[in-house]
Amino acid sequence: MNAFLALALNGFREARRNRITMLIAGFALLALLMSTLLADVSVASIERVLVDMGLAGMSLMLVVLAIFLSATQLGKEIERRTIFMVVSKPVSRATFILGRMAGNMITLGVLLLAMTAIFWIELAVMHCPMRSQYLAAIGTLYVELLVLSSIGFAMSSFAGSIVSAMVTAGIYIAGHLSGDIYRLGERAQNALVTGVAKAAYYFLPQLDRLDYKPHATHLLSVSGSDVALAVAYAFGYSGIMLALAVLFFSRRDFK
Amino acid sequence: MALTFFPLMRIFRSGRTRKSGAFTRLRCSGCIPAPHSFSPLSLNTLSPFLPSQVTMTEDSKTPSPAPIELKGVSKQYRLGFWLAKKVQALKSLDLKVDSGQIFGLLGPNGAGKSTTIKILMNLVQASEGTVRLFGLPPSDPKARRQVGYLPENPMPYDYLTGREFVTLGAQLAGYDPKKTKARVEEVLDEVGMTRSAGMQIRRYSKGMVQRVAFAQALVGEPRLLILDEPTSGLDPVGRRQIRDIILHERAKGTTILFCTHIIPDIEALCDHVAVLVSGRLRKEGSVRDLLTTKAPAVEIGLEGLNRGQLESLTGGSAPEAIHELEGRLLVRVKGEESNTLITKIIAAGGRITQVQQVRFSLEDLFMDVVKDAGYKASPGGEIIG
Ligand SMILES: Nc1ncnc2c1ncn2[C@@H]1O[C@H](COP(=O)(O)OP(=O)(O)O)[C@@H](O)[C@H]1O
Ligand SMILES: [Mg+2]
Repeated sequence: MNAFLALALNGFREARRNRITMLIAGFALLALLMSTLLADVSVASIERVLVDMGLAGMSLMLVVLAIFLSATQLGKEIERRTIFMVVSKPVSRATFILGRMAGNMITLGVLLLAMTAIFWIELAVMHCPMRSQYLAAIGTLYVELLVLSSIGFAMSSFAGSIVSAMVTAGIYIAGHLSGDIYRLGERAQNALVTGVAKAAYYFLPQLDRLDYKPHATHLLSVSGSDVALAVAYAFGYSGIMLALAVLFFSRRDFK
Repeated sequence: MALTFFPLMRIFRSGRTRKSGAFTRLRCSGCIPAPHSFSPLSLNTLSPFLPSQVTMTEDSKTPSPAPIELKGVSKQYRLGFWLAKKVQALKSLDLKVDSGQIFGLLGPNGAGKSTTIKILMNLVQASEGTVRLFGLPPSDPKARRQVGYLPENPMPYDYLTGREFVTLGAQLAGYDPKKTKARVEEVLDEVGMTRSAGMQIRRYSKGMVQRVAFAQALVGEPRLLILDEPTSGLDPVGRRQIRDIILHERAKGTTILFCTHIIPDIEALCDHVAVLVSGRLRKEGSVRDLLTTKAPAVEIGLEGLNRGQLESLTGGSAPEAIHELEGRLLVRVKGEESNTLITKIIAAGGRITQVQQVRFSLEDLFMDVVKDAGYKASPGGEIIG
């Protein structure tokens, strides 16, 4: 097995044996089930409540987990010195980062699949169909997790775990407001504000472009080319973040 | 580098046989630290060391590059909030480990042993100097393919079992997947961990962790083993086992660099030793040479004189140590002074109760070197800036 695959699968194994990850996963699945109970109560529009709660719950849990994993992993490896016996092997630092990243994406992917399965079952129980809007929202959520993970790694390749987690969470929030920030810049009278807002818009990941939850709630039509563009943009953004992570991490001393 | 050496290469090619043994001896007998750079200016000082350089750069049929070569390596760690404080952990270190050697790096705490090893393993980058593993920079994964590394106080992933961790080590080392399973069992057996290999590492004792970590260093069948205090934290049985493994690896022709502050380990295992104190290389040579370069000491036991009288007898040449034991005195002097002192003691009315040759040990040498270096039980590198 090559080193990248070994690292990725080991990362997944680590997550499976990690109490915090399992706790978050268990809690998320439980919360999804609970939403059915709530949905039972409000008879009015069962499907809408189910979809709102389900998608928001999945998104919140997995976003928290993605940030937690990516922002703390490198710091933990360095602090506990587990990294010594890994990067001293004939494994480049790039392979190490990408392998760890892939491990996280496997973990997040498996959890997302499990949650989707539960979500689907709930819909079926309530005699509601699985709509393309829901699948779009779930698929783009995964891409969003990729973006967040790459930002987490880029941060933690040079900063500590707490700072990395906070900055990544901040970027997550700001990234969802990137459209608003852009509009604010356009409307502002002050050239400086406009400049800063535009710079922020280009620097921040445009996560609102990856957010298809409103389409799922309001059953708006989803344009395939919009999704494709947003995903391509996200891949590009993640690629740059990972390149930065490798660049910073390659110069780092482990003491 | 090749360009600079070109004219000299010719000379050596026409002149000598290029067998590595001869060159090795040539280099070792000097025991002088090699010069620091490859610049043309230092060619003169470099000349005793040239042959190995030449064979390294020139001809692929002649001996392959040395497993380890450090030239003028310095390391400063930056400290403090603004990283303004610096600690000089290593200062222009030159070190060459030849193929098949068991090379001991000896030094007190904070001498820079681990720093040296981390530089070799690409965990830390040298501030200055050149570092080569089999002729390649440590940052090149190809260089590390041939190397097995056991860190100081190793920390394996504790959520894995011993077997899983060693298997991961084999996968990361690029070991043949078809043979991995058998090889993992083989090394687990070698370090005596077969029975607990299915248990999670978080339940291991320190000695068990050390063994599993050693197993992951061995699993890729490395040509070079780099061991940072391999026997520290082990019980006598464990220490013996580790020593046996090292000897076994030596028999297979593996080159080994290991650092320790445990002198008996060096005496028992190494053929070559370098003493590092406060980041500087203080002594280097074959263990045999070092142990015989100094005249052995003699310990004389006597009665009938008190300490003051004895001290006046020894006069200018200070004895190495005087001990008082239940009315008897034990004095240790250099071998060549023992006869004179014995005569004087008898003349002064003392009675000799014993004369014993003290084998000069590496420990004595070590203490000498450490003392000469002005090291006063204050470990660590200099804090500069
Ligand atoms: N991460 C670090 N930051 C600052 N100084 C360090 C660091 N690691 C080691 N040092 C310093 O470098 C010197 C050498 O340390 P080390 O190589 O660990 O010594 P040894 O392994 O011989 O005991 C010591 O003075 C130590 O304090
Ligand atoms: Mg050390």
